[in-house]
Amino acid sequence: MKSYRKYMTSKIAWYILTFVVAVFLNFLLPRLIPGNPVSTIVSKITSGMADTNSIKRVYETFEKEFGLNKPIWEQFMIYVSNLFHGNMGTSFGQYPRKVTDILASSIVWTIGLQLPAIIVSWILGNVLGVLAAYIKKGFDRILFPVFLFISCIPSFGFAIVMVWLFAVVLKIAPASGGYAFDMIPSPTFSFFLSVFQHYQLPFWSIVLVGIGGQSLGMREMSIYELNADYVKYCRLLGLRDSKIVKYVFKNAVLPQITGLALSLGTMVGGALITEIVFSYPGLGSVLFNAIAAQDFPLISGCTLLITTGVLVANFLIDIAYGLIDPRIKVAQRE
Amino acid sequence: MAEILLQVKNLKSVYKTRFNERIIAVDDVSFDLESGKCLGIAGESGSGKSTLAMSIMGYYHPPLFYESGAVYISGVDITKLPYNQLREKILGKEIAYIPQAAMNALNPTQKIINLVADVMKEHVKGISFNDVKKIAEERFETLNLPKDVLQRYPIELSGGMKQRTVIAISTILNPKILIADEPTSALDVTSQKIVIKLLKNLIKRGFIKAMVFITHELPLLYNIADDIMVMYAGEIVESGKAEEVIFDPIHPYSNGLMNSIIVPEKGIKGKKLIVIPGAPPNLKYKLEGCRFSDRCLYAKDECKTSKVNMKYVNNSRSYRCISQVDELKEMYKDGKKPATT
Repeated sequence: MKSYRKYMTSKIAWYILTFVVAVFLNFLLPRLIPGNPVSTIVSKITSGMADTNSIKRVYETFEKEFGLNKPIWEQFMIYVSNLFHGNMGTSFGQYPRKVTDILASSIVWTIGLQLPAIIVSWILGNVLGVLAAYIKKGFDRILFPVFLFISCIPSFGFAIVMVWLFAVVLKIAPASGGYAFDMIPSPTFSFFLSVFQHYQLPFWSIVLVGIGGQSLGMREMSIYELNADYVKYCRLLGLRDSKIVKYVFKNAVLPQITGLALSLGTMVGGALITEIVFSYPGLGSVLFNAIAAQDFPLISGCTLLITTGVLVANFLIDIAYGLIDPRIKVAQRE
Repeated sequence: MAEILLQVKNLKSVYKTRFNERIIAVDDVSFDLESGKCLGIAGESGSGKSTLAMSIMGYYHPPLFYESGAVYISGVDITKLPYNQLREKILGKEIAYIPQAAMNALNPTQKIINLVADVMKEHVKGISFNDVKKIAEERFETLNLPKDVLQRYPIELSGGMKQRTVIAISTILNPKILIADEPTSALDVTSQKIVIKLLKNLIKRGFIKAMVFITHELPLLYNIADDIMVMYAGEIVESGKAEEVIFDPIHPYSNGLMNSIIVPEKGIKGKKLIVIPGAPPNLKYKLEGCRFSDRCLYAKDECKTSKVNMKYVNNSRSYRCISQVDELKEMYKDGKKPATT
């Protein structure tokens, strides 16, 4: 147990180090984008103004407000100390909204869309994958090419096809948005109904694309496991096939868990394209707009959130693996 | 006469490849196994020993297919049984199996006790986990295995311990027949001894009634088997009492096998090893005549063309060669020296 604690401590230390580096890069990289965000904002605000002096005053005010007149290392210090207070700064593009406010309101949509979609596609994909490997014959011969086909379609292509088919041709689902554009979010039945209707297309386009990849991986792993010696031995012990398939599922799903945790980690930024296609009010759209507007604080905020998600997910896999797979536990103790 | 537990009659099974080739891996094999006996099956790699084991247990999964013949276990022809009945009534309960590679025979993510529980629950209706645990602990103790093995994962056990655990699991339901497919080939000599002792112990205590022991090591068979069958290219080429086959082989192949055994002795480094020249025939071609004739040092012209049937010396002794016993013995004694490397 002592060595296990040592293992965990060193793991945590590495995660913290990674996080520190990530914070630094999250701060630095957006600021390397050529162009000046303040000029963009100022030119928008001062359009129609002729007085150069007042334009210059406006410019300076904004530069001071955003702290962009200070040297970059000082900006970084301020950024970090603000982070400790849970303050990510003010958005440039959506001035004067706080970055934390924007993230908070959009992440609900992203998680609400992505979490169920990822989990559903993961479960369906893995079950179909192990069944295809076990049943073989016709089931596999039809499903395998279908999986292969679906998994090769880029998600935005698939999303556009869905919009075209269900929203434009069949007209059974709304094409874009998180809810009807004439509504204001409120806890009423008609609002939830609208959200539910708008939910279907983005949800299924993520699920279907996800099923393809998951089931392909699971099928390969299951075929490998089904040929393992223990399967033969269990059969000769007279165990029923349903039980053996359960063993096989558990062993084959182990690598898939890594995939699940990673996609949960990248979830917050993962469906960027899908969200853009459907104009879904999630984090993906926010990040996209932020990059277009050179909104440094917002970009940093989004990427920091994604980084944190990935790190936490990885950390949880590390712990979960030790619990599920005794072989890993032994390795962790060494 | 003792009760016959296992009767194999003209069993034939084939491997069908992707290229529509038919490889007859077990060709017209017949034998009886009486209660209280251990039958040894010897032969080199690819001679069809393991395939025979699979065929006896009715384990026909592609590319292996049943062709003809019958296997009677407790009076039932299992080749005629649907898989579900075979699984419920025969496998694990009447006939059990110890795999060649016990190293990988256990599910890596399952505790031993849980596998034992699954096996017992499959065959004993309504048995509780606590009963399983009690029975398993008792059995492990009787067989001199530490009972905390039950609470471990396969990765935490050594190779020898894994093999012994597999033996204990296979025989937990007291099957009448145990088929041990090279249970010792992956083990060092000490562990081999322990495993052999354990297998003997199983028969002595009546946990199993008879055993088929498959190996490529003839000397090992002398330790445990009552009777020995020598297989070559899917056929039985000689069978008889263990002592007779080992010390007084009739068939040129058995003789060659015995000659090629390496016994540690002084000056062995300088000695030339005696081998059987050539390699077994490819079974995908239709073979005429004696299958061993290409490698046989005593082959005559007619060996290559005429089909050879089993000849009986007496009730228990038979061999597959056109030459007479005396003729062969004479040839072994003088003249033709076996090939050396």
